Amino acid sequence: MIEVVDIHKRYLRKKVLSGVSFTAEKGQITCLIGINGAGKSTILKAIMGLIPLNSGSIRIDGEQTGKAVYEKAAFVADHLTMPLAMKLSEGFQFMEEFYESWDSERACELMQFFKLDPKERIGNLSKGNAAKYSLLLGLSQDTEYVLMDEPFSGIDMFSKELITEVFASELMGERGVLLTTHEIHDMEYLIDKAVLLQDGVVRKSFNCEDMRSSEGKSVTDVMREVYQP
Amino acid sequence: MKESGAWTEVAFNSRDPLYLQVIRYFKELIATGRLQAGQVIPSRRELGAQMKINPNTAQRAYKEMEEQLLIITEGNSPSRITSDAAVLRKIRSELLADSVNAFLLSVRNIDIPLEELLELVSGKYSEMREMDSRADEGETKHD
Repeated sequence: MIEVVDIHKRYLRKKVLSGVSFTAEKGQITCLIGINGAGKSTILKAIMGLIPLNSGSIRIDGEQTGKAVYEKAAFVADHLTMPLAMKLSEGFQFMEEFYESWDSERACELMQFFKLDPKERIGNLSKGNAAKYSLLLGLSQDTEYVLMDEPFSGIDMFSKELITEVFASELMGERGVLLTTHEIHDMEYLIDKAVLLQDGVVRKSFNCEDMRSSEGKSVTDVMREVYQP
Repeated sequence: MKESGAWTEVAFNSRDPLYLQVIRYFKELIATGRLQAGQVIPSRRELGAQMKINPNTAQRAYKEMEEQLLIITEGNSPSRITSDAAVLRKIRSELLADSVNAFLLSVRNIDIPLEELLELVSGKYSEMREMDSRADEGETKHD
């Protein structure tokens, strides 16, 4: 379980996170929802230890996060962070150098599933294919958790469908997934738990199936109540 | 089921629990004969991937269907539709009762005597049947 406890973050005088707490369980898909600027990406970066926090704590499976987090959780950023001149296949070697958890067999499997060409240069990928490659690099690390920043943003519907399929498939295994979105529509049926953020605080967090069972409300319904009261 | 089409074409609504909608869909496939008694069904993961739903939801639907004796899972072999005729008959009557209830709810507020309503239903029903059989003939001609 990823536990985020009362984290605060300021960029100069601007408060980005003002006491955010939530959990993301293993074997579940948890979604951070909020408009642009709500603090979603900052939270993911904080979990990965990429930015310092002003206060609060983050634990993964009970342990304070530190350098070991990179072997425990994979991070899929909303842009490719790989050298653009590399071929896709060379990117694999690059990853293998840096990550103990790299699983090249799974990477090849995913290459076939996404129909990507290993000889293509990373810089030449279309937006949809770049998103697929990015996801592939994240999922091919044999980690317990995967964090993804806006995996569906700005890509075509068929690429979205393929990615959705991966989420539900064997490839995810028993991992815990934490992702962010400002557009819930594509994943209403995919996520276990929704965490609604606004102005750096969690406004509501709930299990989607429970919400449908007990109150007959869709995620979109709850978002409307929270964001447009 | 050979063709994967049956699983990918489902339109869910976002306000009812998803696992109940999945179960309902299975019942419809059984009642309409698209899923046969004893037929092997996809694994939970496969179903999740094809329906593009959360695998935990698929898991919950299967668990519930097992409890309702709708599907059988023995040991490590894949789950299959029950062959119990009584259970299968029950599905059909259950679905019919649901549909009739929904119909009655939608006409409840319209003031109409039962005889007139039944007449309307029976007229529309034979009209529909006629169109269906004509469509079938058309199809066989093309073959």
